[in-house]
Amino acid sequence: MLMQLTLGGLAQGAIYALIALSLTVVYRSTTVVNFGHGDFVMAGAFLSYVLVVLAGIAFLPAAALAMIAMFVLGVLFSKGLIRPTWGGPHIGLALMCISAGYVLRGIARMVWGREVLPMPPVFDMEPIFIGDLVITGDAVFIIGTVMVLLILFFGLLALTDLGKMVQAVYQSARGARLIGLNVERFNDFSWGIGAALGALGGILVAPVSLLHPDLGASFLIKGFAAMTLGGFGSLGGAVLGGILLGLAEQYSGAYLDSALIEITAYVIIVLVLFIRPQGLFGRKAVVKV
Amino acid sequence: MSTIMPSARQRSLRIWAFWAVPALLLLLPLATNAYTQFIVNGMLISVLVTLGFTLVIGNLGQLAFANTAFFGIGAYASAMLTAKFGLPWIVTIPLAGALGALGGFLASAAALRGIRSYYLAIITLAFGELMRWAYLHTKPLTGGTDGLPLPREVVFGISLSDDTLKFYIFLGVTVVLVKATLNLMRSRFGRSVMAVRENEVATASLAIPTARVILVTFIWSGFVVGCAGALFARHVGHVFPESFGMLHLIASFAMVLVGGLGSVLGAVLGAVLLTALPEYLRAFPGMEELFFGLIVAAVLVAMPMGLASLLRRLSPIFVERYYREES
Repeated sequence: MLMQLTLGGLAQGAIYALIALSLTVVYRSTTVVNFGHGDFVMAGAFLSYVLVVLAGIAFLPAAALAMIAMFVLGVLFSKGLIRPTWGGPHIGLALMCISAGYVLRGIARMVWGREVLPMPPVFDMEPIFIGDLVITGDAVFIIGTVMVLLILFFGLLALTDLGKMVQAVYQSARGARLIGLNVERFNDFSWGIGAALGALGGILVAPVSLLHPDLGASFLIKGFAAMTLGGFGSLGGAVLGGILLGLAEQYSGAYLDSALIEITAYVIIVLVLFIRPQGLFGRKAVVKV
Repeated sequence: MSTIMPSARQRSLRIWAFWAVPALLLLLPLATNAYTQFIVNGMLISVLVTLGFTLVIGNLGQLAFANTAFFGIGAYASAMLTAKFGLPWIVTIPLAGALGALGGFLASAAALRGIRSYYLAIITLAFGELMRWAYLHTKPLTGGTDGLPLPREVVFGISLSDDTLKFYIFLGVTVVLVKATLNLMRSRFGRSVMAVRENEVATASLAIPTARVILVTFIWSGFVVGCAGALFARHVGHVFPESFGMLHLIASFAMVLVGGLGSVLGAVLGAVLLTALPEYLRAFPGMEELFFGLIVAAVLVAMPMGLASLLRRLSPIFVERYYREES
């Protein structure tokens, strides 16, 4: 029982980790919190649905195509809508993200109406039984993909020149600009990466859940809960926070009440911000005036 | 950019204009049919919702998502108090406002802990989602997905389902709350709200308790929007959880931005302009989200301070005092 819950929690948590990480990538480079990110996740899921079910492409190339499309969309969003908003009121950037999210949601609903779409299972692997534990192909696939991606991401960040540049911009955009880095283009790139990683989260949940245009909202909250728990702005914290959130949902749902699964994220947000606002690994989050 | 302040003559003209508008509106039911009257009633509700919202995101400058939650709290409070406790609906308006104010307190209580900007925004977002979860999961109280109908009532021999009677009540509540908000924003407190937006540290150095300013702004916003919720409950006669979902949120954002962040005049303009349109878009799924999303994006790029900024440029008579002209 406990093992089964842990496995389910890890699979869910891997998705949350991915979404929190993609939010953090954008936040660290541009200081913008993408309040429309849930809809980027939804768009990724829908794109993969279109490519797999309607266009008949195999799942892996379809997933790659959907991520590339979302990367391009993220870059265009940054160039076309975020940059012109910089000069306006401070709140404008967040509002621009929200409006972009609603546009994506509107398009999804225009095409699909109010239906709920099931995606055909992608991996028809026979479940493996170890004692009472049932390991499904989906869980293996989700956890495996996210692990490979995380190793790749943190490896690139720590070991390559590109990673050093990224860290330079994270530390100080102004300093990075002084040593000749094109920070504007880097920010566009970050938006693209953020959108693509978020979309991958959507692509991974698509086969194990029902698709509808509003699915983004709950993933946004879970991403925020993971970020808050791990420490807002910390890349490693976002990943750890996501996994802990996934586990917390499963345990509280099984041992307390199944209706609690939906509100675990909210409870975590409120508790963390009241008790330890900087989360596990974050910096100072509180103003002292 | 320095703003030309209205002259003394223009200010007195403005006071006359403020009272002339509701006075003329008293005659409006002569010119409307049942459907247009219904739409106009909806506009008055939107004015209050937008007003409460613009206080927080425009005047106080804190991004918040709890507005829709206050609206829902007010509507459910009114519906529950009339349906389950048998109170007359009129009496539930201030009670719904009080519960909305309590919501405002709960959503912003973290400000006392030093939580600001994005963190506060996320707490309010969580608060809003939590309320929606509560409507659905407390079926004995809220009716769950079936919603909660309001009982029929008769006031002065006229049924409260009559849109003209409702119009006069709504108009009265709206005028009182708009005037009260204008006065509040002109007071010492209102100026400290805008000072917090500009620079919290500098404001605190003037011995203004900034966290308390944030809290009180949220509470007043919750009160105004809670009252609007009570009006809404009677307006539609049946409260459903879907009315307080994501669509209401983006519509509120659009109304605030189209009118102009932090402007009371703008709140009225945005609400009046954008209330009727969704009625026509509702037949096409997805169009409302698309429409409001595009409007918000377009305003942010082309006219970040909304219609109120155009009017301010037209004549000083539209300048709201101590309002920062450009960001």
